[in-house]
Amino acid sequence: MTMTSEPTPAAKKKLGLKERYALMTRGLDWETTYQPMEKVFPYATYEGIKIHDWDAWQDPFRLTMDAYWKYQAEKEQKLYAIMDAFAQNNGHLGLTDARYLNSLKLFLTGVSPLEYMAHRGFAHVGRAMPGVGARVACQMQSLDELRHAQTQIHSMSNYNKLYDGFHSWRHMHDRVWYLSVPKSFFDDAITAGPFEFMIAIGFSFEYVLTNLLFVPFISGAAYNGDMGAMAFGFSAQSDESRHMTLGLEAIKFMLEQDPDNLPIVQRWIDKWFWRGYRVLTLVAMMLDYMLPKKVMSWKEAWEIYAEENGGALFADLARYGIRPPLGWQQACDDKEHLSHQAWSTFYQYQGAAPFHTWVPSPEDMAWEAEKYPNTFDQYYRPRFEYWAEQEAAGTRFNNATLPQLCQVCQIPMLFTEPGDPTRICYRESEYDGETYHTCSDGCQAIFDHEPEKYVQAWLPVHQIYQGHCFGPDADPTSPDFNPLLEVIKWYRMDVGTDNAPYEGSRDQENFQAWKAMQTKN
Amino acid sequence: MTYELTIEPLGQTVEVEEGQTLLDASLRAGVYLPHACGHGLCGTCKVQVLDGEIDHGEASSFALMDFEREEGYCLACVAHAESDLTIEADVDDEPDALNLPVRSVTATVTAIVDLTPTIKGVYAKVDDPQGLAFQAGQYVNVSLPGGGHRPFSFANPPSDPHTVELDVRLVPGGLATTWIHERLAVGDRLDLAGPYGRFHVRRSADLPMIFLAGGSGLSSPRSMILDLLESGCAQPITLIHGARTHDELYHVDELTALADRHPTFTYLTAVSHEPEGSDWTGARGFVHEVAVAHFGNDFRGHKAYLCGPPAMIDACITALMQGRLFERDIYQELFISAADTQRVRSPLFKKI
Repeated sequence: MTMTSEPTPAAKKKLGLKERYALMTRGLDWETTYQPMEKVFPYATYEGIKIHDWDAWQDPFRLTMDAYWKYQAEKEQKLYAIMDAFAQNNGHLGLTDARYLNSLKLFLTGVSPLEYMAHRGFAHVGRAMPGVGARVACQMQSLDELRHAQTQIHSMSNYNKLYDGFHSWRHMHDRVWYLSVPKSFFDDAITAGPFEFMIAIGFSFEYVLTNLLFVPFISGAAYNGDMGAMAFGFSAQSDESRHMTLGLEAIKFMLEQDPDNLPIVQRWIDKWFWRGYRVLTLVAMMLDYMLPKKVMSWKEAWEIYAEENGGALFADLARYGIRPPLGWQQACDDKEHLSHQAWSTFYQYQGAAPFHTWVPSPEDMAWEAEKYPNTFDQYYRPRFEYWAEQEAAGTRFNNATLPQLCQVCQIPMLFTEPGDPTRICYRESEYDGETYHTCSDGCQAIFDHEPEKYVQAWLPVHQIYQGHCFGPDADPTSPDFNPLLEVIKWYRMDVGTDNAPYEGSRDQENFQAWKAMQTKN
Repeated sequence: MTYELTIEPLGQTVEVEEGQTLLDASLRAGVYLPHACGHGLCGTCKVQVLDGEIDHGEASSFALMDFEREEGYCLACVAHAESDLTIEADVDDEPDALNLPVRSVTATVTAIVDLTPTIKGVYAKVDDPQGLAFQAGQYVNVSLPGGGHRPFSFANPPSDPHTVELDVRLVPGGLATTWIHERLAVGDRLDLAGPYGRFHVRRSADLPMIFLAGGSGLSSPRSMILDLLESGCAQPITLIHGARTHDELYHVDELTALADRHPTFTYLTAVSHEPEGSDWTGARGFVHEVAVAHFGNDFRGHKAYLCGPPAMIDACITALMQGRLFERDIYQELFISAADTQRVRSPLFKKI
């Protein structure tokens, strides 16, 4: 084939990344004619958020799907190579101590299922967004979250064949009393409208609180010799930066589009800061009590990631008229107490949790006292020392009654009054002739704003008392019927192993025996 | 060893020292590159090397993949230059930036005028017959007799590249400004390097403009406004110049006359600390307060250019945003010092 020579057009200036990305991601949709657009996007307006110009959405990152697959494929190769090597070399014997595994059990049952829910949530919200820029960004985050759920499950499943409490995490997530805390948190978010979900998860959780979840978890893995979880963390961190920028763009976009959006967004920030903060109670306990080799205290983590970084963020958001969330000051005040109160609760309810608890050793208590000079010796040491005596006397304290739960966060009523760590905080609201109980001013305010949502809460303790938490073979009419034992069986906990105290547990025995085999003949 | 780093699509060239990261060099030269973690883990600062050699530094193998390394990508927050470089970064092309080359010239001081009790106008003629071309809003570095240099914005319009006017406020205890106020004399030579900076009018936006200036921060706005009026800009222009007291306002006659001659140009002043009962009859208060009153707290549909002390800039940005003008329409001269890179800053805003 011959080509006739044509005058070459003047060299066009190379397109910038922004223009190239716009060409590949915009104009992908059309104005429907046989159905009105409000029927195509039925959730776009009912929350009251007003959007006038979706073209003003600034892409928080510029990644195309073909590049996305390449990235994630290579990340997976690296991650699975590390995980395989860790498993083949008996990496679990390089852990500091088998107590470390309990934070993994907590993470796998409590957090990994949320990653999967985040995948579903972003897929749903992306579909509901009339703007194509927001839709593409949500789609990628949705796929990221699916990958995070899978890789977390794979990196922790190596432990399942060797240690107790890893076997039925998905079944437990929907049933076990304290797992209703993270579960209901996410259920609350995905049953909200698309804009509230973006503030709840995209902004409040991914931006304001995620560092408090991931940094301690991943650093905890690194400090305690868990290469698998650490490699997962690095592989996820390169996605998290995208998630954070999406959350920030979402809030800026809403606030800039219409002044009427400000009070709505502020209310969501108040709510979701407090909801997320309550879930992080589990992280506080993990940092201060569950890691054998400790990374930093909850108080220190809170000061860096919330007070310093979050404070800088809210200083900038003030330009839009946003103030710090309502519960901010209380959360800052409570940093001295949170982890101690939470661990005390789990210690009492050892029989109903599929991970091991223990009284902190004298060395660990010295660490607590050093990190919490204002509170530990005064309020919490006496309790732990008393429990240590009880254990030594063979009368470990196990709480056999069920706790009252907060109607909103679903955490047992274990938190104390602001300013008085000796008094449990109780709040009550009336709705439709019934009384509802909450654990704090923060949760009460959330309840009072949307009581019709929270009266539907599936509260594990109520459900147990209503007889909804027994297996089909349970016989409440039998004379030796033990309701709590039946609940534990319904949770699929292996009674006496999964829910045993750490001292004398099979995990402890096996780990010590295997370590001995590694070094002796 | 110093290398030249050219950042596409801006076409701007900055210097990068041996051992300095590409990100640090860019930020210090006033070119914002997206970044987050600052130590090679998150990948936010990924850029593509179009030409030249780099050292990847501590880039995480998850944040920077092997296939990306093969395609020439690097993480600007940890990468070092090993030759002159051209990179393509995820920054917006600025059609209004002239990207003038930086040159070193000498200039002879022709006049020093007391503009206010604390501000002197230094006028100099560039010795090179070519002059020193600059874009209104840019600055020059003036070499100090004892070594080092200080940046000062051009106060004159760029139509005459042979002249440099620098309006310098005496900073108590300030080495450079004390030298200029107390030692510099007509006939002295100045060593200048420039023009620098990416503060310029976004003329292609074709929108009404608001200039908010505090104290000697009037320099860039004045240069920009003179340039706009000389070249027949038809869009409305509003300048609000603020000072502590009325005798700290300057170029008042010139700006008043311009406002009389150009119906599109509005000139307002604001004094914040004028003694009670003085004969000042103009507006009292801060620049942002006068702006809010003048525009009825509605700044939509404008481009705003800010220049002045940090507290004034901060108050003005907040006022503009409360009046619904947001980051993409607000511009200011961005000096990033070593202290700024240490300060905890949220990534909510990039350039304000």
